[in-house]
Amino acid sequence: MASIAAEQTKAAVQTKAEPKVQVAAPSRREFLYYIWGASMVMLLGQAGVAFIWFALPRFKEGTFGGIFSFPPDKIPANNTAPFNEPSGRFWVTHFEDKLAVLYGVCTHLGCLPKWSDQNTRFECPCHGSKFEMSGKYIEGPAPRSLDRFPVVVTFADGTTAATSADGGAVAIGDRRVVSVNIDTGRKILMPGHGLPPES
Amino acid sequence: MSVLPFPSFLDDVKEKGLKRAALEGVNEVVERITVGMNVQDIREALRGEPASRKPNPRLQPHADGFWLHMRPSYFNRSVTGLYPTFRLGWLSTYFVFFETLTGIFLMIWYTPSPEVAYANMLNIMSNVPFGQFVRDLHRLGAEAMVLIVFLHMLRTFFTGSYKKPRQFTWFTGVILLICTMFLSFSGYLLPWDQLALWAVTIGASMIEASPPPVVGTNLNLLLRGGPDIGANGLLRFYLLHVLAVPAVLFIFTGVHYYKVIIHGHSLPPAAENIGEDTAKRVPLDKRVYFIPDILTSEIMWIGVTTLILVVLVTWFFHAPLEAHADNQVTPLGTTAPWYFLWIQGALKLGDKVLWGIIFPTIVIVFLLVIPYIDVTKSRRFAHRRFALSVAFVLLSLLVFFSYMGLPEFGVKTSADSEILHEMLMEPAHNHMGTLRPIPYDQLVVGQFTTAQFETNEFGGDIGTALDSLNSELAESDLGATLLSYLSITQHLPITSFNFVPIPADATELYDGISVLAHDITQHPAEMPNAWSAVIVTQPQAGLKRVDVVIIWDEVEIEAGVPVLDENGNPVFVLDENGERIQRINGDYMYIHADSQYFPAPGA
Repeated sequence: MASIAAEQTKAAVQTKAEPKVQVAAPSRREFLYYIWGASMVMLLGQAGVAFIWFALPRFKEGTFGGIFSFPPDKIPANNTAPFNEPSGRFWVTHFEDKLAVLYGVCTHLGCLPKWSDQNTRFECPCHGSKFEMSGKYIEGPAPRSLDRFPVVVTFADGTTAATSADGGAVAIGDRRVVSVNIDTGRKILMPGHGLPPES
Repeated sequence: MSVLPFPSFLDDVKEKGLKRAALEGVNEVVERITVGMNVQDIREALRGEPASRKPNPRLQPHADGFWLHMRPSYFNRSVTGLYPTFRLGWLSTYFVFFETLTGIFLMIWYTPSPEVAYANMLNIMSNVPFGQFVRDLHRLGAEAMVLIVFLHMLRTFFTGSYKKPRQFTWFTGVILLICTMFLSFSGYLLPWDQLALWAVTIGASMIEASPPPVVGTNLNLLLRGGPDIGANGLLRFYLLHVLAVPAVLFIFTGVHYYKVIIHGHSLPPAAENIGEDTAKRVPLDKRVYFIPDILTSEIMWIGVTTLILVVLVTWFFHAPLEAHADNQVTPLGTTAPWYFLWIQGALKLGDKVLWGIIFPTIVIVFLLVIPYIDVTKSRRFAHRRFALSVAFVLLSLLVFFSYMGLPEFGVKTSADSEILHEMLMEPAHNHMGTLRPIPYDQLVVGQFTTAQFETNEFGGDIGTALDSLNSELAESDLGATLLSYLSITQHLPITSFNFVPIPADATELYDGISVLAHDITQHPAEMPNAWSAVIVTQPQAGLKRVDVVIIWDEVEIEAGVPVLDENGNPVFVLDENGERIQRINGDYMYIHADSQYFPAPGA
């Protein structure tokens, strides 16, 4: 062993002396150190992954939200200020004879936009994103229009209408609504700055 | 023969007498504690005399002692003045210790749980002796530390001290800047007030935007401890604040300072030849020894800095505490702390991945690699015009982005909502609604109006003006609309209007309403003919309710801006009879007899 170390030292000294770099082949001991080092790195990596797994919060899909039964008499008149339900974090909006339930959280960074009666639009207090009554994006940094919750509307004649799979609003016209059920467990993301096609 | 079966102090007493033995004993203890300086050496140092024995006992504590081995035994005279260091690095270290100490004090009275954290704050502020004092010091120290560390970085840049061989010192300094900012930010959540909740919601949502989605989603969950910030999130931010980030900060403080000592304090750029680094070769006549000059100077600076902080928190600064966290309402004017305004400004520009993740990352990476990009040798200002110009451009951008972070930029809502907010808002950013700090006994129950300040058409007679308004409201549709608005929308059970003059002895109420009267006239295009009612009622003993209602003529608004006709006048919205439509907006607050709203010092 001593001779190997001596040779390596000699090699190092020689490297300094002349421009040509000479590297001795790894000895068994050196090689085993590399293997050992690599296994240490892998162990640390596993520990890191285990820590992430350890610290990740556990909750079931659907733990949050549920079916809200919304009193039909609280549906705002057509094209008037949307109704806010803070406990469910949603707004019920009635625009152009259609009904939609907007998720009340800004699609930008999670603040809660307020409805401004004077400006007839939603305005986010954090970074100034603005949305129409329908939730459609107007301006600001938000990446999408306000997201929606699926809603099932039952009319007086017993027929029902529901939000389409991509979140299209429910046409209610002037039919009398007897019940409104909102599923806040299933959020429907809007396609960018526009709105989904109407159902 | 020994008195005891082993050599002892008593033998000394027997041999030399009590007085001399005791003095020698004390001397020895002092020499051991100072690791090398006896009483005589210390007195010589304090008298400003040279050491009388060799080897120099003033170097001994640096060579053999633990604490002073971290400090150089002498400095170069050209770095001991205010320039070039401005003491900024030293001050940063001071704040590391200051924040640790005040933070540990606060931990005594704090539990990181949403159930009790806010109550803990109230307890610290109103019940614990010196509680508010310590909290104010901790908060002021945090903000001062961000500022000082940033200025330290600027100074290092301007004197070119990041250049070879100090590149890595700069690198660790940037890490310390990031730690400082994150420490300040993670401390934000702990009081569990509105500011806390929403600042951290925005911060966590930014991290959620990290690409690709699987990374962002999981990082966000790790940080928040759930899909929403709650008990888990608070605990995690607490652990980051008191354990994880301080650990990183302490380690890198050690590395940073070690590098400073290894390379020596860089001299003023003009003091050495270009490309030379003579910081470690201090000529004998330029040496300022740590003992006693630097040591006593540092103790003085500890005293002065602490005094400044104490004076500031005593008379000029109180750490703000907003209303209890409410995840159902984002307060109007939610603003990042001033040192993050530049990010808030950038976020308003658009894509959150670009401006919330990529942009800050580029800024940090750029800062980290500055010394490896700028490898020019000269530290002289005249030779660094390009680098200095880039720095000034970036500083201007920083100021500009920070301005964009203010609510004034892009987040203003309609004038009526802004005014109601200004009148009634919960304390936020050392600021609260104008009507909030009115003393309880000056909140006289009754109906008041800003019409009191607009009496020109009644010859300045307040009584006539209010009588006219009262009778007008009793007969008109507006009166009925207003009553139904108050009773149905605002749940204020009143049945008629009877506006009276503000009592002469309620001076603060008078002042508050006169501010309101002034504010509503400031938006003639958006809120023409505006007037306002302030109605004070007493729903129960010891509790008063203050309603503010603004009434104005509706005008056409497009994209948040009033539409103007060719003469620059607002376009009124008319009903089917061609009459102007009155718009109403109102808000209210409750004030308890024991409420302690008072304007922040200096506000």
